Amino acid sequence: MKRKSLLVLSLFMLALVTSIATAAVRAQDVVTVTYWNTYSDPENEQLGKLIAMFENDNPSIKIAPTQYAYNDFKQAILTAIAGGEAPDTIRMDIGWVPPFAQQEALLQLDTALPEFKTLADSVFPGPLATTYYDGKYWGLPLNTNTQVLLWNKDLFDKAGIKDAPKTVAEFVDDACKLTDGTKQYGYALGGTYFWAPAPLFYTMGGKIVDDKVTTADGYVNGKESVAAFQTILDMYKKGCISPNVLGGGIGTAEGHATGLYAMIIDGPWMVDIYKKDYPDFKVNFAPIPAGADGKNSSVVGGEDIVVSATTEHQKEALTWVNYLMSEKAQLFMAQVGVVPTLKSLVGNKELPAYFDIFMKQLETAQARVAHPKWDDMDGAINSAFTKVLKGESDVQTALDEAAKTIDALLVAK
Amino acid sequence: MTHLNIQRGVASPNTPSVRQKFWLRGSQIYPYLFLLPGMLLFAMFIIWPMLYSLRISFNDWNVVHPEKSINVGFQNYIDVLTDPIFHRAVVNTLVYVVITVPGQIFLGVLVAMLLNQKFPGRAFFRTVYYLPVITSWVIVTALFEYMFNGQAGLVNSILMSLGVIHEPIRWLADAKLVLVPLCLLGIWKGVGWTAVITLAGLQSIPVHLYEAAAVDGATTSQRFRYITLPLLRPTLVFLLVVLMIGGLNAYISFLLINRAGNLQNDAQVILTWMNKQTFENFNFGQGAAISYLLTAVIFVVSWVQIRLLNREVDYA
Repeated sequence: MKRKSLLVLSLFMLALVTSIATAAVRAQDVVTVTYWNTYSDPENEQLGKLIAMFENDNPSIKIAPTQYAYNDFKQAILTAIAGGEAPDTIRMDIGWVPPFAQQEALLQLDTALPEFKTLADSVFPGPLATTYYDGKYWGLPLNTNTQVLLWNKDLFDKAGIKDAPKTVAEFVDDACKLTDGTKQYGYALGGTYFWAPAPLFYTMGGKIVDDKVTTADGYVNGKESVAAFQTILDMYKKGCISPNVLGGGIGTAEGHATGLYAMIIDGPWMVDIYKKDYPDFKVNFAPIPAGADGKNSSVVGGEDIVVSATTEHQKEALTWVNYLMSEKAQLFMAQVGVVPTLKSLVGNKELPAYFDIFMKQLETAQARVAHPKWDDMDGAINSAFTKVLKGESDVQTALDEAAKTIDALLVAK
Repeated sequence: MTHLNIQRGVASPNTPSVRQKFWLRGSQIYPYLFLLPGMLLFAMFIIWPMLYSLRISFNDWNVVHPEKSINVGFQNYIDVLTDPIFHRAVVNTLVYVVITVPGQIFLGVLVAMLLNQKFPGRAFFRTVYYLPVITSWVIVTALFEYMFNGQAGLVNSILMSLGVIHEPIRWLADAKLVLVPLCLLGIWKGVGWTAVITLAGLQSIPVHLYEAAAVDGATTSQRFRYITLPLLRPTLVFLLVVLMIGGLNAYISFLLINRAGNLQNDAQVILTWMNKQTFENFNFGQGAAISYLLTAVIFVVSWVQIRLLNREVDYA
């Protein structure tokens, strides 16, 4: 009896020890890859499902996502890096890749990822350019967006205008026809930061720097760039642009939906914003009006996927990157408004219908300057734009000054 | 615990013994022992980061590989002190301090004197005046942003219906005008706290002084001038010190309003500029240098004011 219970006990102990050991092995086998991002709530929900699909295919990898608010994100990443706890993978704003690469915080992807060349060839060139810094690629464009024209059809009908403007000249005319003192404005910009005038600037042939990013002189203050800002200034002086552009006014989203602003220029997220805040408002998209050469353009926005330079799970992190870049994952996230970067998905029937115009616009959209000091360059253009609108300077003088500031930033390390 | 009990048991100073002397000596260690956990946390979370950022301020800091940082001596401090945006931030901060500190003290004393009267509903009003103090900066800043909206703001529409202005003022689009909502917000939010502190000061003034003055035929304003103000001086100096430190540390309201308006770097204050330099421009060295410069200024200001505070109150 005694011996029997001893045997049972020892068997039990043995079972316990082995189960602990296997559990430990299992825990070791499963690698957790952290993924920091700034997805919106509906996007985040979709991401949860995507992760479940990924983990199902890759049982040895677990993805731990963390959602941040955009305004806190840079600080959160920096704090984590400084504390030696950098996340393995990050989905960051396209403008942040060069500065973080300069801080040596990112893994060089074109050498670390065997599939890099294939992936790079499969995405739009504009978004891809945002991951390039110092002759190397530091990430991949995960999702993209651009701005198109939003026009309030009711207001157009009332003014007797049949369709959205096709050229900048028509755009200017329509905007002024659609203006009625302070009750209605033909066009409204969200602010003076470069993102706001960028579509009109690029479509009118404006350039900030040369293609090799060596100088701004003759580009940001070149003929086309000056003409672009002059066009906006003239409209503003005639009262065809809302004064909210200088800040502290009614936002473009609510102003457009409530009939205060006949036209705004904005991105694909407006669909979901209006669905939630103004369910009765019907959004009408149109391409950015074409410039004098008959071609149109816009500005590229979006996020890139990067891997932290200090990650301990490089292999698994790269598996996750590959998965995120797959057609399957891109289509899945597109269902909640995340515009894919894969060229092969243009015209895909599973994409939301309103994506067409954005995908088409992306073919001509241009990336802003990929440079660690881009934020400061943006600031230089912003202050030139502000001065011009406030009448403190003429366009040429203000942009000459911006060119000088940007050139100084280009030579600084 | 037993040690403490023993110590208490022999606390009478009349019968010293060897044992007692030992415990008395031991008792001098106790305060430090009890302070130790707090001091450790203080050292870990305050002193250590302070010294670390002092080190950053002398380096061209590499956040990923701190060991690769380059020592640049005082260059960061020189860069900060010669930076026009920093100058602008200092001026903005000083304007904010010069307007909000006297504003809060003046209104705070006024409110405190009113709340010191006996009238029905006094407790209610004391609570109401304290409410802004406990509401979140983020929420009230958003509220002020809304009220001072250049197109649809409450303030503009009131001013226009009164005929004071004929065109809407774009409060948040101008670096000087934006200081109006920011200073009003600072004063409005601080008056309640200032009033509570002043109220405590008022209640510590002996009533018989007022009674004696009344007997001597002193008017209300004379009583205020010759009794209330002099005896309130320590409270006022205390308020001056704390409010000035608070004003120099203005941050959240400026950060949020700067995001709402397109003011670029014209409406920075010292702390928002420090934040931007560090976390947006990745200029860690200059960010740390700014925080040390601000610390130095606050230290000097506080020291001067505390010297004033230490002068004795004359009840004669």
